[in-house]
This record gives sequence, C-alpha cells and structure tokens, in this order.
Amino acid sequence: MISVVELRKRQREISAGDTTDMALFVRTSEESIEGWDRQRIVDALMRETFIDPDTAEAISREVEEIIRSSKINMVTAPLIRELVDAKLIERGLEEARRQHTRLGMPLYDVDQLIVHPNKENANVPHGPEATNLTLAETIKKEYALLEVFSQEVADAHMRGDIHLHDLGFIDRPYCSGQSLEYIKKFGLNLPNSISMAKPAKHPEVLLAHMVKFAAALQSHFAGAIGWDAVNIFFAPYLEGMGDAEVKQLAQMLIFEFSQQAVARGGQAIFTDLNLYWEVPKHFRDVEAIGPKGEFTGKTYKDYRTEAQRFVWALFEVYNEGDGAGRPFFFPKPLVHITEDFFITPGHEKFLHHICETASEKGNTYFVFDRGETAKISECCRLSFKLEASDLEDAKRPWKMRYSALQNVTLNLPRIGYISGRDDTRLFENISRFMEVAVKAHLEKKAFLERLLSLGEEGPLALLTMSQDGEPYLRMHRATYLIGMVGLNEMVKIHTGQEMHSSREAFKFGLKVIAHMKLLADKMSKKYGMRFVLEQTPAESTAYRFAKLDLRFHSPQAGHIVKGDIARGEVYYTNSTYLSNAAVINPIERVRQEGLFHPLIEAGSLTHIWLGEAKPSPESLANFVTKTFMHTQNDQIAFSPEFTTCNQCARTSRGLRERCPYCGSEDIDGITRITGYFTKISSWNKGKLGELRDRYRNQGFMKRKADGAEVEFT
Amino acid sequence: MGYIKIFTKSECPKCPAAKEIGGVLQREGLRVLYYDLETPDGLAEAAFYSVLSTPTIIVEDEDERVLAGWRGSVPTIQEIHGVIRAQ
Repeated sequence: MISVVELRKRQREISAGDTTDMALFVRTSEESIEGWDRQRIVDALMRETFIDPDTAEAISREVEEIIRSSKINMVTAPLIRELVDAKLIERGLEEARRQHTRLGMPLYDVDQLIVHPNKENANVPHGPEATNLTLAETIKKEYALLEVFSQEVADAHMRGDIHLHDLGFIDRPYCSGQSLEYIKKFGLNLPNSISMAKPAKHPEVLLAHMVKFAAALQSHFAGAIGWDAVNIFFAPYLEGMGDAEVKQLAQMLIFEFSQQAVARGGQAIFTDLNLYWEVPKHFRDVEAIGPKGEFTGKTYKDYRTEAQRFVWALFEVYNEGDGAGRPFFFPKPLVHITEDFFITPGHEKFLHHICETASEKGNTYFVFDRGETAKISECCRLSFKLEASDLEDAKRPWKMRYSALQNVTLNLPRIGYISGRDDTRLFENISRFMEVAVKAHLEKKAFLERLLSLGEEGPLALLTMSQDGEPYLRMHRATYLIGMVGLNEMVKIHTGQEMHSSREAFKFGLKVIAHMKLLADKMSKKYGMRFVLEQTPAESTAYRFAKLDLRFHSPQAGHIVKGDIARGEVYYTNSTYLSNAAVINPIERVRQEGLFHPLIEAGSLTHIWLGEAKPSPESLANFVTKTFMHTQNDQIAFSPEFTTCNQCARTSRGLRERCPYCGSEDIDGITRITGYFTKISSWNKGKLGELRDRYRNQGFMKRKADGAEVEFT
Repeated sequence: MGYIKIFTKSECPKCPAAKEIGGVLQREGLRVLYYDLETPDGLAEAAFYSVLSTPTIIVEDEDERVLAGWRGSVPTIQEIHGVIRAQ
C-alpha cells in the first residue's frame, strides 16, 4: 500500500541545472509508473489545501531542489509529501499541513499486522480478512481524528481523557435494534442488491432473509445487531409444525448466526435475540404478520403456544452446545423477565430450562423489565428503553428499529488524578469531560447526516431506504451514549477506599453517576438529542486508559490500576462495577451494583463468575427470582469457564493447563470476556489481568448433602 | 431514633404535602433530611434507597436501618408516629 518513488536519473535527458527535466519514475498507488512532474506538488496543494498558487509554486521548487541536491537514488512518495509538509510548517501553515496529511501505516507496522493477531476485539479472528479490516480501520481512525472531529475532541481521545469507540467505523452508526417485522412485511429489498425477494412464505426462508439482512446491517453498523421478540415474531410461521421441525429451525437459526465467520473481517455478527416466555403487553393485541407478509387475522397473543415452543427449542440447542459441546458464542439469547412472566403458565418449567443452560453453558442473559418498562437489549448490555411513542409504534412493529449513533467513554480515574481529592474540582472536571463527549457526539452526528443526505447515491443508502415512508435509520430516535470506565478506581483515588469497602465510598460512587445522569439529561434538553449513560463494555478501553494513566500519572497510577504491572496486564474496573476481586456474596453484589442501574438508562449488566462450578438450575432460578423481586438490577449473566482441546475437540469444565481427556496441552480457555463468550487466547492483556483477579464465588457455593449438586448459599 | 428522609422533585404534585409533613416532624424535634432528586446528592441518596417515585418518605433507626417507607404516596402524621412508637 505504500507507493514507492524511485528517482532515476536518465542522464541523457537531463540538462544541468534543470531539475524539472530530472526523470523520476514514480510507482504510484494506482500501480503505474509515472515520471517526475513538479506541477503535481502544486496541483495537490491547490486541490487539498487553501493556500495561494504562488506559495504552492514556491514550495514545489524548494522540494524539488532538496531532492536534486540530496543526490539520493530512491525516495518514497510519502517522503515527498513529508518534505512538502515540512515546507508548510516552516511557513506556519499548520492548517494546510493538516489538510495535506497522508493517511496510512509504516511498512513495519503492516508487516507486524499481517503476521500477528490484533487483540483489540476478541471477536475478530486472525486472517487475511481480519488484516484487511484492521488496515481499513486504521486509515478510517486517522481520518476520523483529523477530519471528522475537532482538535479538542481528537486530542482528548489521544490523551486518554475520553475514548471515542469504533473510530475505524466512523462512517457508520454504533449499533442497532431491529424488528423481524420489517423483513416479514417488505421482504428483502435492499438498495444496491442484485435481486429482490418478496416476503417469506416459509419459516426457513424467513430465517434466510434474517441472516442476510443481518449481514447487510453489519456492514452499516459498527457493533451489535439486536432482534426484538424473535420467538414471538417467528410464531405465525410455525403453526402446524411438529416439535422436531421446530427444533430443526432453532438449530438452523443458532448455527447460522454462530458460523457467520465469513463476514466483516471474518468476524461473527454480534447478534442478540430478545426472547419472551409470555407475549409482552405491548405486542399482545398487535395484528400478526404471517407468510407472504400478510396479516393473519389474529393478534400475537394468539400465538403464545408457538412462540413458547420455539423459545423452548432454542434453549435445547443452546444447552447441547456446538459440535464439540462448547457454548455458542453467538447469537446471544436475552430472556426478558417481567411481572407477567411469573403469572404465565409453565414459567417455572421454562425458568428451570433456561437456568439449566445458564449453569451448563452460561449463554442465558436475564433481562429484567419491571413495572411498565419495556426494552430491546443488545450488544454487551446496551438497551433501548421504549417510551410512550415507541409503544405507539409497537402497533406497527416494523417501525421499531433503534440505533445508538456513537459511544464516548470517560476515563473516570483520570478525572480523579487531576482533581487532587477536591470535591469541587472533581465535579467540575466530570462536567468538562462530559462536555467534550457531547461535542464529539455533535461532530459525529453532523458527519453522518452529511453521508445520509447523499441518499440512495451515498454510502449509507441502506439506512436511507424508506419502504414504510420513513428512512430505515430513524435519526429522531437515535441515542448518543456516554459511558464510563473505572468508577471504582476514581472513588479510591478520591476517598482512599474502593466502593465495596465502605458505605461512604459506595455512596460517593452513586453521587458521581447521579451527577453524570443529571448532566446528560440537561444536555439532552439543550441540544434536543438523547444523551444517555451506558455501562461501556470496555473490552479494550479499560486496558488503554490504565496504560495511558501509568504513562501520564505515575507514580500515583501505579498504586491504583488493577492487574499485574510487571506482566503489563493492567486494567481499570469496568464502568460502575465493584472490584472483580472483592469477596462479596453474589446476591449482594447483584443488589449493590443494581443500585446504579436506574441511573444508567442505556443498559447495565452484573456478571456472576462461576469458575468451574455448576450450580443447580433450581439454585439459579431462585437467584434470578430474588434478583427480579428484591433488587433494581437490569440484567445478570452467569459465566462458567471451559477448556476446549484443539487435539481431541472435547470440552471440559474450568480453565485447565491440559486436556483432562487426552492430556494435550494444545488447549484454549473459554469464558465471557465482557458481554460475550470467546476464546481466551484472543484476549488483550488487560482482560487477562482481570481474568486472574475475578472472584469466582467459590465461598458462596456449597455442595448439597447428596453431593450431586452445587447451590448458592 | 435515626433520620426521616424525604425525597422530592420540583414537578411533583404530592411533594409539597410531603415537605409539609417534614416541617411538622421537625417542629416536634425529629431529625428530618430533605433530598431533591434534581441534585446529585439527592439523586444518589435516592438511588441508594431504590427510590423510583416521588414523594418518598423513609424512616430509619440509629443504625440507618429502614424501619418504614412510603413510596409515591404521603403518609399521615399518625402513621409515622406509629412507626416511631413501635421502635
């Protein structure tokens, strides 16, 4: 990708003192060889910057003179550009230099990249497609920081005050929640597609449409693609199908989404399936869409049996795991637990069923919708809470598509370091960092609006298609996420204690998040946009912030960051979590962490690390019920650990050094990295540090008297 | 006897009544703390007690254990006295 310019003097064509005639054979990025022409420098400067023609001419002559007098035999094209940039700087033309910047990577870095895996995102395997993805992301990141964002925002990101997520996907929204009803009603009719499919007549075809639409969406969003009420919306297609056929369909759905490793960068589509045992209130009286996209004449409450059969079958498949007995990494099943769940016939049996999966494989996410709350959950914990207007949209569910345009995370420990344990300064600095985050959102929004304004001719044509009278991406309903990392460490810096250590420290943590929430609300009113707090999954951000703080705030940071500094495995505690290492009864952790959740509108999650323990389904069902009834916690997930053997392809419980079946050391660990399962060999160093620290609740689990089962105490 | 904590918001129809009760209890010599959910301190305290609606009145003992709470409603003075007497 780096074009090389070779300077070769064709002696016979050169007359002394006239470098314009010096023949330079230029290997350009268009893969052609062109001769030296000083005018090209002038043309580039005139095209790319706002400087005047005389200055451009003068610079081109000076650069030509440097090349002529240097007597070097070969230079690179980037070098010529750098020489021009140096001349711009000499003249104080800094803005022109910025405009004239070349984006790209050093040869050494590209070589490293092609050979070694990139661990920023554990969901991207190593391979040629992944390399392409990283190279493209690298250039788009640079582009974003130079062209999309102001210098103030870009510098705040580079310093590590804030983290702008998915800069490599700057030309897309962050993530989204979808409704199957859209493809059920309109079929698969995508801009730039070479064929159009009418609405599906059969469940298998609907599934095929869903998978293809998800792939198309993945290329237009940076992150997760969540699907609302999947079992409810599939139900009208399942009438008359036998149990074996329903199970087959469930198997197809899960395998399709777990084996999509042919898409972007070889990355499986980050897919979430929102599932219900009951038919949720807001869909109960909605006219059901069935085969051919036609209304069936019934409402969704009439399809409860089919919906329940499907969700039951899905969990049978999850429980069995993949061909090697491993948990499926994707699609993630999110079961909504509501008041109505507990009065719907068969709920005890179903809760036992999904808890069996949670214990056996860990897949199940328990999403708690209390009172009138309804939401679509996705990503590692993001959720879109449905407001009155959305519940009105629920009558036409194909309208129910939501997106978060961007996520910006604040480095809370950084705010602690620079505030010197002074309350006023601390809260002022939080406000200042929040303002930068809001500015970043305004800039990204303006950029995306520019791309969207190009309509069907533009790069985001898919998001502008308007089969139901409004663009697919409903900008008026978009949210702008403000995340946080390291609340626990900020509180420690400021009060001297971690949040689990004292009531005062914990309450101070609540005050910080309360301040952020009130500020987000105020800014939402001011700008007419929805700024909402989210618990950033921070797969790599918690590592990046810790590393940068060790560089800029040592020695203090050395006493604060978590993990092992000698190994370089450093991290901050995610979002508003209590310390991973703290020995706290899991139900108490769920309760305490849950006290933050009502303040964090765009989604929260508490992990219960299980290690190699396999608690009984009854014990987990009891835990889930208690969580719903007695806490404010938004979402929980139980995370067991596994060892998978690359030799004999068998999977065992717990993280081990060798396969217990064949003794091979060619093994890999599997557990949740943040909001999803993946292989530990793909984790970044920060997450490995966290993995070593995780308290696996062994002190709060005991074997039953019969010795067969483990339960929470 | 610990504190009586009253959580309010500005646009909340029943909140003036809750504050009025607070005033009466204060005049009786009881320790009353007011929390405005539109301030960080008030919202943080509300989150700590899982206060999701206003007004809310919580009666605590000396060790900050919750003796009684009225969420989204206003109790009578007699009801609060009843809780305090029962302690």
